[in-house]
Amino acid sequence: MGAKWYLGTGAQNDVIISTSVHLVRNLREFPFPQMLSLQDKLKVNSIIKDAASSLGDYNFNYLEMKMLSQYEVVSLAERHLISPEFASSRDGRALLITDDEAVSVMLNEEDHIRFQVMYAAFSLDEAYKTANEIDNALSQKLNFAFDERIGYLTQDPTIIGTGMKASVVLHLPGLASLMQIPKLISTVQKLGLTLRGSYGEGAAAKGDLFRLSNSITLGISEKAAIENLKSIALQIAAQERSAREEILKSNATEDKIFRAYGTLKYARLIDTDELMELMSLVRLGAVKGLINIDTAKIEGMMINMQPATISLSVDRPLDRNGRDMLRAKRVRELLG
Amino acid sequence: MLCQNCQKNEAKMHMKRIINGSATEVHLCSDCARSLGYGDSFGSFGLGFSDLFSDLLGRSEKTLSGSSTLRCSLCGKSFSDIAESGRVGCAECYVTFYDKLLPTLRKIHGKTTHQGKIPENFSETVQAPQIDVNDLKEQLKLAVEREDFELAAQLRDEINALLGGAK
Ligand SMILES: [Zn+2]
Ligand SMILES: [Zn+2]
Repeated sequence: MGAKWYLGTGAQNDVIISTSVHLVRNLREFPFPQMLSLQDKLKVNSIIKDAASSLGDYNFNYLEMKMLSQYEVVSLAERHLISPEFASSRDGRALLITDDEAVSVMLNEEDHIRFQVMYAAFSLDEAYKTANEIDNALSQKLNFAFDERIGYLTQDPTIIGTGMKASVVLHLPGLASLMQIPKLISTVQKLGLTLRGSYGEGAAAKGDLFRLSNSITLGISEKAAIENLKSIALQIAAQERSAREEILKSNATEDKIFRAYGTLKYARLIDTDELMELMSLVRLGAVKGLINIDTAKIEGMMINMQPATISLSVDRPLDRNGRDMLRAKRVRELLG
Repeated sequence: MLCQNCQKNEAKMHMKRIINGSATEVHLCSDCARSLGYGDSFGSFGLGFSDLFSDLLGRSEKTLSGSSTLRCSLCGKSFSDIAESGRVGCAECYVTFYDKLLPTLRKIHGKTTHQGKIPENFSETVQAPQIDVNDLKEQLKLAVEREDFELAAQLRDEINALLGGAK
């Protein structure tokens, strides 16, 4: 496997870590997955697999979910390549995924097709362009359930219409430390968007990572939804930068950043929550030029040090202590 | 179902694990899932709006009583099945229960008319599935080769009308 999608860097990367676009599609000829027999699900899988194999530009690996081990499945969810719902029940489900993990297609989740395109940093236009190309190519081979009045038909009516959820992951240590997150959540809600923890919910969001996405899909074009998301994301990024200025006026923040760095460099046991909390501070220090470390390395660690993913890296299940020990060791090595 | 670990909270996470070679189901609440090391992965990818939908539908169902016997011809669901589960059974359900679902779609999205893209093959497959343009093009080519220009002109007009109508 080659370089992963998160190793890229780019515009707005001090605040905006990654971008993803999800599209939900169903085959017109089959009821939604919850109404399908196992046999029909397998039929749906093979129809979509055949259609995807003809997309010359993308080389998809096809994984039957029930062939994977427990920690492989949970690791896919930790890396946001599949949904927790998809991980929870595996019969009749399959995944199409590119080597760089930038494109993943869940087959027979709540809909026949839920696919996502992930990019590093702030790349909504690029991510949508790629998602749209894949969608167009698939629609040459498949008949999607569609109604002229209400758009793409989905099992969950909250995503009917465009069937598109676009999102960006924001790193908001400044706004979080100034207790601005609850206010922000209710503000973006009025603008047709959702802000939630990327790992963990609400104010308890791990690593100060938040996902901002569009919540309205009917009565708005893909382009308008993307533009709206883009402009709100940029405004939040600007607010975050001023919040960082504010908290860095106090040398207590600088002290916290270096203590976090010290702990990561020397600790012998680190659990995921502590890792995320400390990494958030170190990332802040890195983008502020206080610590010399590549942010892509930090993003990689936040993804690869999750519990099942770390077990996957040694290809055997580890207990809690084993994971915490291995995590601490890996982090020490990466920070040199 | 209660969480197997604390026996107190509602289990939110359901997984199969292989323990000593045999499959066992595990049901955990989100707190326990997290403390056992699974929690970090839950809560970001899921679009998670179905509870809201079920709520909204449940309410509108009460105001729309009387015609609960109508069933979707493809999947067999009635409107009250959909309202109770918060789950639409298939694409055909949207056609069958269009009028009843519309107020809910309005509550969720504020609007009820699709403004986004249309599948590339939509007009061909739905509006003119009987006549194949490529077939006509093939006939046109043969007509030109035979120098049957009257037929060729007729075919050309038919093709243009089809392509124009599909746009
Ligand atoms: Zn519990
Ligand atoms: Zn139906």
